[in-house]
Amino acid sequence: MSFAKQLNLIDYSLSSLWRRRFKSLGVMVVFAGVIFLLASFQMTTKALTSLAAESLAFAPEITIQKMRAGRQESIPVAYQARLSEILGITAITPRVWGYYFNETKGANYTILGLDPLSMPLGDQLGRAIDQRRLPREHEVVLGRGVQGAASGSGSSIISLFRPDLSLKAMTIVGNFQPETDFLTYDTLFMGLADARDLFGLPPEMVTDLCVTVANPSEVATVAKKIASLLPDTRVVTRQQVQKTYQSVFGWRSGFASVCLLTALTSFIIFAWDKASGLTPEEKKEIAILKMVGWQTADVLALRFWEGMIVSLLSFVVGYTLAYVHVSFFEAALFRPILIGWSVIHPSIPLRPTVNLGETLLVLCLTVVPYLTATIIPSWRAAIIPADSAMN
Amino acid sequence: MHRPCSILLGCLALLAVVDGGLVWHHRCQERLFAVADEVRRVTVAGLGLSDLCLATEARYTRHPAVTDLVVPFMDHPGAMDHFPTGSFWAAPVIVR
Repeated sequence: MSFAKQLNLIDYSLSSLWRRRFKSLGVMVVFAGVIFLLASFQMTTKALTSLAAESLAFAPEITIQKMRAGRQESIPVAYQARLSEILGITAITPRVWGYYFNETKGANYTILGLDPLSMPLGDQLGRAIDQRRLPREHEVVLGRGVQGAASGSGSSIISLFRPDLSLKAMTIVGNFQPETDFLTYDTLFMGLADARDLFGLPPEMVTDLCVTVANPSEVATVAKKIASLLPDTRVVTRQQVQKTYQSVFGWRSGFASVCLLTALTSFIIFAWDKASGLTPEEKKEIAILKMVGWQTADVLALRFWEGMIVSLLSFVVGYTLAYVHVSFFEAALFRPILIGWSVIHPSIPLRPTVNLGETLLVLCLTVVPYLTATIIPSWRAAIIPADSAMN
Repeated sequence: MHRPCSILLGCLALLAVVDGGLVWHHRCQERLFAVADEVRRVTVAGLGLSDLCLATEARYTRHPAVTDLVVPFMDHPGAMDHFPTGSFWAAPVIVR
């Protein structure tokens, strides 16, 4: 077929779509909506996964937690000595961390106490704090969410309850930088002794141990040795942390399944409606075209172009809107489910990416079935003799 | 009078301009993020962080990397997962 003929067919298709403009517009809105939903979820989960992968590339190489009755419990500091015989360990840093519920605000905070100077890059940690200094005894650095929720009065003192309900007052000496919001927004960072005092932990106990390994290729071996030396512990490696985040925002999560099922169901209903047959007007139009000399192939080409224009325009519009939704509005539609009942939650700098493979997958799942659903009924109508169709 | 084809081409050109603008915006954002990434690296390494602060309502969505798979159901025997975030976050695959 010549190029000029195809152009004429496209012209005719557009005129035909314009004649049924309300129906065509309705189809495009539904189509674009389905693609928007699918692409938004795909982009959001991928952006969250990449954010986690990039940010947690410097997570502790090994974290050791003590387990009892299937629950994590405090680990004795003396366990450090039992690891001294393992070659390849450069440092073991005890940490005290846990959760603090602020009943007034209804907010959960994360309390973190450690000596950062024994951690990798710990000497540069001041760069992440606006006052450029680490907390000393009875001092605390707050995440920006805690600053907003805990000391709206502008006070430089924050008071927290110990388990026995006595108050522990601490001086606020800085806030984490806004760039670290999605890591530290709910965090109160203090010295190890202060965190232990706040949680009422005995001096010989900590929450977990962070292990630094000299050679990254030996992490798995060192982790195995630790697990055999300390059988009552769980040994979490950096690789496991990253793998968790590779899978945690998957299509198998409950919300994703609901989202996918809703989109697919609406699309199936929509395609079924299209495929179940043409309207008498559409059949009549095909019959007239055949009577004036159009071949079956021409009718099919016409319907193909109609389907292609509707589906491709809907696809591009749906995908573009999905990008805008994720990038500019931080996936606002999914945000209520993502943050749940969290009282303090940071803005999440999502960087959606458009991957060719995934785009083609969505294209194949939506455009191809739609084209098929458009062309098959037209082919059925086009092979009926024109005079029968007219009757 | 314009051919319908030219109107379609106009629409496609408009979409191309919008998408081009989004690509440009994405590249600008990449540069901004690259600057902030260094501070984030220091924070993660210096504090030994294992998780992102996305949802703070439940410990298994605040720190999914260092909690057990059974945590949502371990508050008491027969406990159900009642936090909304549990529906968004898939259970991590057990890494052997």
